[in-house]
Amino acid sequence: MHYSIVLLLLVPVVGAIVGALLPNARSAKWWALFVSVLTALVGVWMVAQFDWKQDLSAVPAADRLAKSVQITFTPGFDSLLHLEAIQFSFSLGVDSISLWLVLMTVLLMPVSVLASFTYIKERQKEFYAWMLALLAFMLGVFVARDLLLFYVCFELTLIPMFFIIGIWGGSERRYAAGKFFLFTFSGSVFTLAVVIFLGLAAGSFDLATVTQYAQYGLTNSARIWVFLGLAAGMAVKVPLFPVHTWLPLAHTEAPTAGSVILAGVLLKLGAYGLLRLAVPMGLIGPTGLMFPTVVKVLAVLCIIGVIYGALVAWVQQDIKKLVAYSSVSHLGFCVLGLVALNDYGMQGSVLYMINHGLSTGAMFLVIGMIYERHHTRDIHQLSGLAKQMPIMSFFFVFFTLSSIGLPGLNGYVSEFLTILGAFTSEHLGIGYGIAAAVGIILGAIYMLHMVARVIFGPLKVPHVHEEAGHKPLSRDLNGREITVLVPLAVAVVLLGVLPTPVLKSILEPVRMVRQPVAAQMMGPRVETPAQVAMAQRP
Amino acid sequence: MDSLVRLLWPEMVLTVAACVLFLLGVSRRAAVRRLTAVLAVLTLAGVFVGLLASGAGGALMSGQAVSDPWHSVRIVEFGYYIKILVAGVGILLALLAWPGNRQATGNSAMDVGQDTGEFFGLMLLSLMGVFLVASSNDMILMFLGIELASIPTYIMVAISRPLAVAQEAGVKYFFLGAMAAALMLFGFSYLYGTTGLTDLHRISQVFAASAGGVGNAPVLSAWQVLAVVMLMMGFAFKMAVVPLHFYAGDVYQGAATPVTALLSFVPKISGFVAMIKILYVVGGGSWVVPEFVTQILIVLSVLTMSVGNVLGLLQFNIKRVFAYSSIAHSGYMLVGLAALTSSRMAGSDEGLSAVLFYLAGYGIMNVAAFGVLMLLPAQPGIAGMGGVGAGGKMPPATSAETFEDIAGQGRKHVALGLAMAVACFSLIGLPLTVGFFGKLYLIRAALNQGLIALVVITVINAAVSAAYYLRIVSSMFLRSEPQTQWPQAAKPADECECKGTFPIRLAVGLSVFGVLLFGLVVPAIEMLSTQSRAAARVDIPTSVEPSTASALAR
Repeated sequence: MHYSIVLLLLVPVVGAIVGALLPNARSAKWWALFVSVLTALVGVWMVAQFDWKQDLSAVPAADRLAKSVQITFTPGFDSLLHLEAIQFSFSLGVDSISLWLVLMTVLLMPVSVLASFTYIKERQKEFYAWMLALLAFMLGVFVARDLLLFYVCFELTLIPMFFIIGIWGGSERRYAAGKFFLFTFSGSVFTLAVVIFLGLAAGSFDLATVTQYAQYGLTNSARIWVFLGLAAGMAVKVPLFPVHTWLPLAHTEAPTAGSVILAGVLLKLGAYGLLRLAVPMGLIGPTGLMFPTVVKVLAVLCIIGVIYGALVAWVQQDIKKLVAYSSVSHLGFCVLGLVALNDYGMQGSVLYMINHGLSTGAMFLVIGMIYERHHTRDIHQLSGLAKQMPIMSFFFVFFTLSSIGLPGLNGYVSEFLTILGAFTSEHLGIGYGIAAAVGIILGAIYMLHMVARVIFGPLKVPHVHEEAGHKPLSRDLNGREITVLVPLAVAVVLLGVLPTPVLKSILEPVRMVRQPVAAQMMGPRVETPAQVAMAQRP
Repeated sequence: MDSLVRLLWPEMVLTVAACVLFLLGVSRRAAVRRLTAVLAVLTLAGVFVGLLASGAGGALMSGQAVSDPWHSVRIVEFGYYIKILVAGVGILLALLAWPGNRQATGNSAMDVGQDTGEFFGLMLLSLMGVFLVASSNDMILMFLGIELASIPTYIMVAISRPLAVAQEAGVKYFFLGAMAAALMLFGFSYLYGTTGLTDLHRISQVFAASAGGVGNAPVLSAWQVLAVVMLMMGFAFKMAVVPLHFYAGDVYQGAATPVTALLSFVPKISGFVAMIKILYVVGGGSWVVPEFVTQILIVLSVLTMSVGNVLGLLQFNIKRVFAYSSIAHSGYMLVGLAALTSSRMAGSDEGLSAVLFYLAGYGIMNVAAFGVLMLLPAQPGIAGMGGVGAGGKMPPATSAETFEDIAGQGRKHVALGLAMAVACFSLIGLPLTVGFFGKLYLIRAALNQGLIALVVITVINAAVSAAYYLRIVSSMFLRSEPQTQWPQAAKPADECECKGTFPIRLAVGLSVFGVLLFGLVVPAIEMLSTQSRAAARVDIPTSVEPSTASALAR
């Protein structure tokens, strides 16, 4: 029995409840930091326990699928909680893909908490309690081995984020929070219908069972509905092109920590959902209906997102909004790699999820630090910050370079791999690769354009009246802020120069995810009432 | 006679208690009048516990129908479930209407000097009406039960506030209710005319005989079709189902908040119980009903959900929002009934158990939402009260009604804000609340019958409804309190609001606890869904009922 995975959820949940009851704000922030660091340590413990050398090729074919959905950290938890009436069980597990994402999440959370120490000035207790609750729900999505549990956690991330944006956000916060909630919820209720349908049809919500069922048990019309329902929820969360409009607003209005978590982790839930549900179910892929067309449509949407996001980012006046639009662009790469459906593309896609979380999260952190000092993010009001804030400028340029994919830093590896995936993919090909590559060039243009304006050039900062009652921050980054950024910088360099361990560890799971299991390998078909009803319909 | 007492003791206890309350209500001594609320709650609690205990005793929960010699009453687990549910939610509703603090309840009938005894007597009678509907096996008794559930509510609406809007609401509700009663009677009379029977069980056997085989839908004559349609429309009024929903907005707004809470639960459940019983009759003792009934249910459910949610988006008064939300929730529950009747497989009563689960969940979360509204003060000078008070005087301070009233209150009263958030998230159907499992069971039942289009419409509606529930939450938490100047005459309710509101707080606390318990604690969810599944097994094979043969012989 491995308790670490249960602890991973239990620690932040208990932490959030205790944090909400603490007497004062000062203890609340240190408590939140303590809990998030503790969660990170649990994450590290999981890494230590994880069986990295497990040879999946030795696994019998029939078990493979179950293995691809989860590896390790096993059972024992299957019976942790079980809801007989609907075959829901509280079962948890990770494979190396989700483990890396868990690691990224537990790394981002303490730094966001630490970065909020001076940024969040009112109702601090609530803020940190919501952050810890959010942490628990996000981790829940990554470790769920039950489809309903996955959905529940996926949906629950909305509530803390709604309050975080709505209470502690910028001037448009109420509108932004409402839009964020309604967009995401509207998408994901369709996913709920699909989740219930799959659970009903498969007779269980167990992810492995459902996936296995979905691969061979669905009629063609059901496959279309299931795909559309899943895509609706995930595409809004990612977000893909036509439904991305909530993102820039939510990212811009959210407080720094909210933006970091939103960009770093919440967007990944959508891509992760596609990877974990749609691809293994064979809905995207050679066994899917209208196979190349669906994938091509998705890829085109990604490309539009890449180019359009980049072009819109280019003209932004607000540097936070610029980075927000860059997320639209970057997530386009991420999903493009995913739908390339080959080793390069999918490895790159998973790596992109991690890298984007690190570098964009870090960008939002730095921008938050600038904002705390100058109370503006307007590209016209800021200039030449390098003269005043050399340390900050170092980090800013560093993370910018990571974000645009400078060789040696993390962004390069994943961008390269996703584009390579698009080039070599059997069904995408050169056109898609070239279009995506144009996106990279545009990315470099808008990011460097901003850096040139904000960091270099003659010094220009707006005059700020310090609020009474608060100690003014030091001119350049202080020790706490450097502590926030250094872990991310280290991770960026490590993943840039040494991505091989990560890539190697996710190679097998990625292959498992997209290999359909031949129907004859599976057991006899299970006839459920739903199937009978479906079959009887004209 | 003995068997009748054994069967109908809850109804009898409630009637006797109501009469006692009417008598106590005319007492001159304030202490006695004050006692009426305590008595009402104790009676309901006694009935609740008694029903639970007798259910646990097992005699009546064995899956067998129990009838009295005249077959006017026939009790199955379904009836027990409904009674326990109504008694339980009734306790919460009585607590909401507690006559402690008129400012907090916004209900002048609650002022101890006035009509307290009558108010609680009427409330018990209304709940008793639902009990009768649940027990009835005779169309006359069923009609009486439905009317008994409704008529006291007309009075309660009218006396709840000394304002023109309340009287207007009462009159409106009464006239439209009378029209619905006429529709219903029309339907019942045709049903009687074509079968010559009032015994619902025997009518179902007549229908079953017309089906020509198990699993076939009965063949209805044109008059019978007319009767069924009329009945469904009559019940639609009670359930606040489109197209007979027009009264909801005005009546809910005009009534005092605790009465509104009652209105959104008691008449609704009486309508649903009657509808379920009639569907069972029309199916000839099964759920295999003629095609047109299912189609009507589907159309009604789509219309009700969509109209309710879209109109809910446009409201400024929160009580109106909840009125339209109540309409929309009826629509969701009709999805369950549509799933129930479109089943062609015997014993597939998943839709019904989903509806029963949802009724329980809706009752609980609704009390929480209204309770929080009652505990928040209204802003002065905002036309929540419909303007001028009675006699040209300043309208009494009352509970929150508009979005302005609740703006920023979640920051000031964190516990109340969180309670409202839990209630709203549950009404949306977010996980960890009972509303999530309610929707899950309904969608599951509909999908199981292949009603995919209906499910798609349901989830679209869930998304639409999120907009207005979220508006409530965001008003409470994300807006700041409006800076209004309190006139000297009306003091802000802040000072007095903790006094005498303990019962309301208790009701809110209990219902929030219930929402989370049935949404979070797996054994509790399991328990409720098992109960509702057991209760959904209405179709007992006729052979196990000992008295059927003799009944037919007569």
